[in-house]
Amino acid sequence: MAVRAGQYVHLLRDDGIGPPRRLPIPVEATDRAGGLVSLVVPAGRDGWLARGRPGDGVGLMGPYGRPIERDPRSRHLLLIAEGDRVAALRLLMDEALADGSQVVVLVGAATAREVYPSSLLPDEVEYVVATGDGTLGHRGEVVDVVGEFEAWADQSVAAASQPTLEALARLAAGRRERLGVAKLGRKRGGGRPDAPGSAAARRRAYLQVIVDQSMGCAAGACLGCVVPAVGGQSLRACREGPAFAVDELDWEAG
Amino acid sequence: MKPKRRVITTPGGRSGKRTPTVRRIRSAIVPAPPKGPSGTSRPVPGSPTAAARTTGTQPPGALEPPVASGFDGEVDLQVDLAPGRGGLDLSNPLVGAAGAFGFGVELVDVLDIERIGAIVTRGVTLKPRAGNPGRRVVDVPAGLLNSIGLQGPGVDAVIDRYAPTWARWSTPVIVNLAAGSAGDFAELARRLDGVPGVAGLELDLACQPSRGGTRFALDPAAAGAVVTAVRRATSLPVVAKLSAEATDVRSVARSVVEAGADAIAAINTVAGLAVAGDRSGPLLGTGYGGLSGPAIRPIALRVVYEIAQVVEVPIVGSGGVTGIDDVLDLLAVGASAVAVGTAALADPMLPVRLADELADVCRRQGLSSHRPLVGSALPARPAPPSARGVEYRP
Repeated sequence: MAVRAGQYVHLLRDDGIGPPRRLPIPVEATDRAGGLVSLVVPAGRDGWLARGRPGDGVGLMGPYGRPIERDPRSRHLLLIAEGDRVAALRLLMDEALADGSQVVVLVGAATAREVYPSSLLPDEVEYVVATGDGTLGHRGEVVDVVGEFEAWADQSVAAASQPTLEALARLAAGRRERLGVAKLGRKRGGGRPDAPGSAAARRRAYLQVIVDQSMGCAAGACLGCVVPAVGGQSLRACREGPAFAVDELDWEAG
Repeated sequence: MKPKRRVITTPGGRSGKRTPTVRRIRSAIVPAPPKGPSGTSRPVPGSPTAAARTTGTQPPGALEPPVASGFDGEVDLQVDLAPGRGGLDLSNPLVGAAGAFGFGVELVDVLDIERIGAIVTRGVTLKPRAGNPGRRVVDVPAGLLNSIGLQGPGVDAVIDRYAPTWARWSTPVIVNLAAGSAGDFAELARRLDGVPGVAGLELDLACQPSRGGTRFALDPAAAGAVVTAVRRATSLPVVAKLSAEATDVRSVARSVVEAGADAIAAINTVAGLAVAGDRSGPLLGTGYGGLSGPAIRPIALRVVYEIAQVVEVPIVGSGGVTGIDDVLDLLAVGASAVAVGTAALADPMLPVRLADELADVCRRQGLSSHRPLVGSALPARPAPPSARGVEYRP
């Protein structure tokens, strides 16, 4: 089973008092040779997973969802994440580094204690930290640091809370005008535009986002995980996502 | 083209065996189910169910077979949800509850559609609806709180897109209807009347009337008026879905049956609330949500128990079913069929497996049908309604 960056699995959260529930968790890393899939699971309120013992089994289903697409021509990849959501971008780091791209990871957290340990990331990435209270790295939001790398980056991927994604979407919308850069894409302006939601549309987008949605069924049936999309539509994070090109979604709605 | 089907193994490894794609053999080649002396579906005297009733200690499923005479034929699990109206025949009593199975077509890869008793679709409205903003689902202890907001393409698109697929399935599809007035309910029923693939209608009476007032299901007169209007508009079997929150659910049940409902579904979700992590407000985008899952199971049992004592129509019981004991409990308090919702989100094959387990229970108890299990926990004389006192009676 080949998992691609941006895809996720469902961990069966079985707290023993209710039916098992599906907890969507991005795949942090895979080891094909060893058949390993590693995940970073947020502690949550009841710590159900922490009560288990090493060696206990847990139900796992997947992989689900559409992956992040990299433009083969992009050499500078800017990754933006909040807290341990950076784990969702780890596979992408590996893929990009293997292709010889350079990767910068911007991570935001409220305080130094909540910063994702750099030891869990590949050595080759540049790791930039912003903390709300200034206890580590820049003081402020991760969005404040993005400007420094805007000109450097060919492509960008973000995994963050909704307000941060909204701020990043606004930044991305004004980027070309600010920088006066040419758009990566067809040399001639013509041709059909990429179909919304297609892999090609994501590949061509400067910014892709991984939305953070709680899910019910992951089969597209319950509509618990929808996000507002352009044209008044809504898209299901479980099927059409969780990776979206920034211009697929409606950032003003809700 | 026939949809490609894949049988999934059980997550969690409870019974990971592959289940073959066969329907239960119909009653035509099975001996008739044993009837009680009065010809009703009361337990056979001396049967394990009757024993469980007289001792009153354990649910039937918890009993080991006390006699050696197990039944080793094919168990007849058929249910007719609309006996008075040409029939709404289910091959088994396990139903996919509204909401959890979408329009059914989403799940053809993970669910053996032909082996589930019936599928109830998500709520269908007259016009397309975008649904609710913000967070829509949240896990809570022993359940799920949801507030989807009836997102959907509207009834005409549903008929165009999904009904042709439903018509190819042998499994009945019951379309759940949601509307803000009796007139809109009737219009929905009119458009679905005669559409191939639509086997019946379920009325979501937990809807809020658009001209204000409380939910239909809380008011016997309003609920009855909706059913009356729908009854005039269609000859399809009509299932009225009731709420546990009615002051006296028995009067609502009587009202909808008098108005022409062929069956009753109970219960819908129960209103609840979750608080955001930073305690700045409710967690769900719309504030309230509908609580489902094992958290509401005792409420469902109470409501079905009450309804079953005042109406004769079949009852589709639902509320927190996760295992065979929950199915047997609901049957015991008078449900003819059992719907699975929240637990099926994680495991869409659960209803199919529960139907197999129900057949096993029947075999162990020497029953050729599950029907003797229905109503085994109901009192001989009508119990007083819960509205008149629960923990304390004067």
